[in-house]
Amino acid sequence: MSQYTVRATPEAREAGAITLSVASLPESFGPAGDYDNAHVHAIAGHAGWTTEAARAISAGARGVVVVNPAPEDTDDLDDAAQQNGTVVVLDQRWASNPAATAAEVAVRSMAGRAAVLDVVATAPLGTDIGALIADQLAAVVRLAGPLGNLKLLDRRQNGYTATAVLANGAPVALQGIISDARPASVNITMLTDDGGARVTLPDPVAAWPATVKVTGPQGELLVPTIYESAHRTTWRRLKEHLDAGTLPSDLRQFAAVSEAIASLT
Amino acid sequence: MSSHTDATRILGVGILGAGPVTQAIHLPSLARLGHILAVRHIMDVDPTVAESVAARVGAAHSTSIDALLGDPDVDIVAICSPHQFHAEQVIAACRAGKKAVLCEKPFAMNADEAARISAVSQETAVPIIVGAMHTFDPGWIAASEDWGELPEHAHTIRSSIVLPPNARFEDFATEIITRPAGAAPDYSDPEVIKGALRGGVMGLAIHDLPLIRRFTPDFKDVEVLEARHVRPFGYVISLRTPTRSIELRAAMNNTWKPEWSFEAVSDDAALRIDFTPSYVQAGSAVATLTQGTRTTVHGPFEHNGYEGEWRELAALATGEKQPPSAQSLIDDLTFALDIAEATVTHVDTRNAVVEGARA
Ligand SMILES: NC(=O)c1ccc[n+]([C@@H]2O[C@H](COP(=O)([O-])OP(=O)(O)OC[C@H]3O[C@@H](n4cnc5c(N)ncnc54)[C@H](O)[C@@H]3O)[C@@H](O)[C@H]2O)c1
Repeated sequence: MSQYTVRATPEAREAGAITLSVASLPESFGPAGDYDNAHVHAIAGHAGWTTEAARAISAGARGVVVVNPAPEDTDDLDDAAQQNGTVVVLDQRWASNPAATAAEVAVRSMAGRAAVLDVVATAPLGTDIGALIADQLAAVVRLAGPLGNLKLLDRRQNGYTATAVLANGAPVALQGIISDARPASVNITMLTDDGGARVTLPDPVAAWPATVKVTGPQGELLVPTIYESAHRTTWRRLKEHLDAGTLPSDLRQFAAVSEAIASLT
Repeated sequence: MSSHTDATRILGVGILGAGPVTQAIHLPSLARLGHILAVRHIMDVDPTVAESVAARVGAAHSTSIDALLGDPDVDIVAICSPHQFHAEQVIAACRAGKKAVLCEKPFAMNADEAARISAVSQETAVPIIVGAMHTFDPGWIAASEDWGELPEHAHTIRSSIVLPPNARFEDFATEIITRPAGAAPDYSDPEVIKGALRGGVMGLAIHDLPLIRRFTPDFKDVEVLEARHVRPFGYVISLRTPTRSIELRAAMNNTWKPEWSFEAVSDDAALRIDFTPSYVQAGSAVATLTQGTRTTVHGPFEHNGYEGEWRELAALATGEKQPPSAQSLIDDLTFALDIAEATVTHVDTRNAVVEGARA
């Protein structure tokens, strides 16, 4: 017996691999027979998604999944979600990867000693540069917290270069590369004086695991690999919040990313 | 007839400057090549160093460049002195009519010196190579035979270097008798930062700038977008040409884990080369070339670029191979000097803006 029924727009279903995600959590979710009264609404994150999500909340949704949200002011939506106790989760290309939790611990624990943070995002031809910047920043901000002095130095058809600083003044270098010759991913490398952390977050088109490696004087540790896509992780998180009656911080975290992107233009 | 004209005889090597690079890099490489090369003469301005390093290999020793260049047993000269002496010593070695010259990087410190070297090299026809060892690495060479049109089509190029302290690797390679004392620079001084960035480009990035230039047809139009110092020593430099995006990263710190990689990416192909650390005899780089969905791996091969340099020198000295054009060495140097200069100017401009904002 499925606990929560799901309705999804065709766009969200496609972009978020929702059929597969829901099928891989069969005890928790199932398709809505009664479409109008589905517990969970899944929508695509194109411009205007916050209005659409607010509409879902008014329509009585207990949970809302937003696939690939574009930068947008989320304050009103956050208020509505709080008032109605609605769980709004964001399904982001890289930032929602299940390894991001361990990667965040690794990166933040050494951020005060960081000498440099180097971030390279790679995506296939045809990728919108603005969307790539947003996905890259969402992942970095998730792992390292807000960046100072963020600035776009160069933007071309096949990539971009941006710069920022960490709270301790260490340089942050961000690069986007458009190419079909490499798997889409974001690589995040933080170096300290005696080691560092290296994180590779893959695209959610398959359940290939991220790698999180922490290097210190004693050696290098590979954090246990998780064979779960960012899509499925998002749905699993949704279920946990729905069961526990808690609200996630996705919208508040996303506000920091939207702000960063607004400062770029 | 003297044995010097016998093409099959072992070629004699003379080395100017017997510091850590000679001790830890060149002597171990030459020890693997005893069938073609033998060290005959070691010169250093420090007589103790010259004598004790020469004793390790049973070579003659001296403290004067004339003594080494006048030694008829020396066919090939390697210049491993501090960088400010390179140009003058390369010129002297060419004039002495040696069979081939290896100059440790950097080749020269300004375009003027480079032009003088070029003139002497043309006049004397003595082959010269610069110790940018990665260009002699079998992993790089194998990749170059397979990468097709990637140098013409690459749009993004990256060089990333993470270096543990040199001593860690020198000690894996030999027993060093001299080691320069380290200093603790004052990084709150903008002049110190500028010096560190210039040193980073001319001392560290320079190893791979010839590789980058190979993928940058419009290298003459390079500009600096951003240049920052990485503590304690390193840099993050973003460069652009009209067709290329070039990122240089380096951090010299206290980690045990080295990384030295070169990447070039186009719309449909990508090359990544992972080099082995400096000093150690850890074999060649491994090159990973992806074209479409097919990935080819070249290497590892048994020898590294340092040994590759010596094999090349032997081939040049016997006339088996033709030397690189002096123009390409000069272009490599000019490219490095342009980047070093633009980096320092960039830091100056940024400081001026900050000062202006304060005023
Ligand atoms: N290819 C590489 O991986 C690599 C790595 C490090 C350094 N280098 C280059 O190699 C060269 C030597 O490096 P090092 O670390 O051994 O340097 P070093 O300065 O520590 O040692 C150089 C030696 O040259 C001697 N010397 C000083 N003046 C001289 C002169 N006029 N003529 C002859 N000898 C003189 C010194 O006494 C010393 O023993 C430098 O040019 C450096 O840029 C190359």
